Amino acid sequence: MDTNYSVPHEISTAAEQLAKAILRAGPIAAYQQAKARLDGDTQARELLERFLKTQSDLRVRQSRNAVTQSDVDELRALQREVHSNQRIRNYAETQQAAIAYLPAINQEISQLLGVDFASLAGRGCC
Amino acid sequence: MSRNTVALQTETGTLDLDVHTAAHAFAQSLAESAEFQAFECAAERLGQDEVAQNAIQAFQNKQQSLQMLLQLNAIGTEDRAELERLQEAFLDQPTVLGYVEAQEKLATLCQAAANLLSERIGLSFSACCGSGCC
Repeated sequence: MDTNYSVPHEISTAAEQLAKAILRAGPIAAYQQAKARLDGDTQARELLERFLKTQSDLRVRQSRNAVTQSDVDELRALQREVHSNQRIRNYAETQQAAIAYLPAINQEISQLLGVDFASLAGRGCC
Repeated sequence: MSRNTVALQTETGTLDLDVHTAAHAFAQSLAESAEFQAFECAAERLGQDEVAQNAIQAFQNKQQSLQMLLQLNAIGTEDRAELERLQEAFLDQPTVLGYVEAQEKLATLCQAAANLLSERIGLSFSACCGSGCC
């Protein structure tokens, strides 16, 4: 997408109002709070980052058929640590609930327009 | 959710009244845009163009008849050439070109608007709604 594209004022204002309302909604507010708590917990944040990196590295090694038992054991150990971390679990659970909340908003928008807003917005991405 | 929040049940889930109202206002602002109006006009012109509709139907019929072969990447040279010919035939229709162009402009607007939402709420709106992007 052209980075210089400018959204018309009426639409950007309406988008801002919608964003504010969404941020006040229960599932989204809970996710924002859980995210803030995770961001403020260095230990939990670093554990999650370490787990995600290890998981990503393992996938790359898997594609090259170069995974060792030690790699698998390391990932499993990190997975256990992540699952037993309340902050990370809370973040993951609230994120899922927040993600599940958004399709209903898309449906409201799309019903009025007569076209699927999220599908149009997702075209040509990446 | 606050005690004063009113919830509305939709087919996909439950929305706060504030969100419902704001979503409608947002949709209305998009509907009033030049891009959306142009898209609606282009869609209507395409719908009324019998020649274009027949060309699209011919392509879709051919594509459907070759569906399994296409999925297995086992389509023969002649069939592939025929499919491409039929595709070019409908893409060359002025009303189809107009519709595609209008849809792309509307998509650009919707992507930019969705990006505004996503930046504010900290989640990718289109990805979360199943468009599969990113």
